[in-house]
Amino acid sequence: MSAIFPKWTNRLPLMIIIGGALIGTAVVAGAWYYLTPKYSKVGYQPVQPVSFSHATHAGQLGIDCRYCHNAVEKSWYSNIPASSTCMNCHNQVLKDDPRLALVRESAQSGKSIPWVQVHRVPDFVYFNHSVHVNRGISCVECHGQVNQMEEVYHFQPLSMTFCLDCHRDPAAKVRPPDKITDLNWKWSDNPEENARLQKLKGEQMVHEWKVESLQTCSACHR
Amino acid sequence: MKTIPPTCPEPEFGRKYWRSLDQLAETPEFRQWVEREFPEGASEWRDPVSRRHFVKIMSASFLLAGIGLGGSGCRRPEQRILPFSKMPENYVHGVPQYYATAMPTRGSAIPLVVKSNDGRPTKIEGNALHPDSNGGTDRFAQASILNLYDPDRAGRFAKRGNVATPEQAFAFLENLSVTSNAGQGLSFLLEANNSPSRIRLQKLISEKIPQARWYIHEPVDLDIQRRAA
Repeated sequence: MSAIFPKWTNRLPLMIIIGGALIGTAVVAGAWYYLTPKYSKVGYQPVQPVSFSHATHAGQLGIDCRYCHNAVEKSWYSNIPASSTCMNCHNQVLKDDPRLALVRESAQSGKSIPWVQVHRVPDFVYFNHSVHVNRGISCVECHGQVNQMEEVYHFQPLSMTFCLDCHRDPAAKVRPPDKITDLNWKWSDNPEENARLQKLKGEQMVHEWKVESLQTCSACHR
Repeated sequence: MKTIPPTCPEPEFGRKYWRSLDQLAETPEFRQWVEREFPEGASEWRDPVSRRHFVKIMSASFLLAGIGLGGSGCRRPEQRILPFSKMPENYVHGVPQYYATAMPTRGSAIPLVVKSNDGRPTKIEGNALHPDSNGGTDRFAQASILNLYDPDRAGRFAKRGNVATPEQAFAFLENLSVTSNAGQGLSFLLEANNSPSRIRLQKLISEKIPQARWYIHEPVDLDIQRRAA
């Protein structure tokens, strides 16, 4: 009686196990890398309706972040400035620049400029700007060096790990509240000295201001 | 394919019965309707492109559209932020605003503070800075927040039950002193209230329209206690 199955089928279970393991690993690794905010969000740089350069305004001219984003210390929401805020300066400076046509039109007609949202946390996350900024967490920790960005892009993943890393050890990030919007600021230019001071002063601040290391679910998911 | 039921055999002799008026009339249209599977024009596909070919083409194009969407549709949706054009004064997005006001009652008014989120009133509390109430309210004042969202709340002007534009209404009221013949037969219906502003306005109107009459209607007579005392 001849064999119904050829001989190589003896190895079939082994091949299935090895193949399945390889494919499974590839899928997990792919999801791990590609489906995380680290890949999908970081570097997101949409084209804005007005080519506003943070590098020029905040970096070169040194305008404080809070001149435009003035509600950041009072509200959970850091506001996008109204067109009238732009016109405070631009009714004098670059009065007829074509790049500012939309801003002038908006200030005159009352229609909003449709800025494209860059940073967005999901709706199930409650994030309060004011509580972070008032307790010595700088803009730069989440938004990166915006004062060097021509067009704003997503700098940090803003994932849950990212939040928790800091919430577990706030002393590693806090700085004096008057240096919050100074994005280039460091304790010291010497990296070792900087790290030493951050640890020393950070722990002192966390203690003195009663900065809580909130890790309960309901701290963010309310 | 629809199987056409065999026609009922008609009896060879004796009475013949008809089953519908159409059958009785026996028009050629009716005969055709009985014998055809589908009404005329419903089943023929007279185009040289066959139905099968059409479905083939369409499914291919849907597939291609799906692939195209896969490229662009899986991106995250672009959201817009629309800030103000002119910043309203004392407004901070995300922080509620509080307005001091008063709720008129029959005999007086309750000083209130109303919390408003982005222009929507959400909570009514007493005004703690007012010496009259020291922040106290009653249940009517607390519940009056619901009145602001009452669908039956008067939201427009009406004239004899018909909707009128604000311009029409104001024009009508403006000419009231002329058209109402010094107020003969003109009545105002009010609810009880002792607002000084209303008393002043009432006086002003009475000067212009002297013969107008004023009626106060209250569904509940709360004066009964006072009269009994």
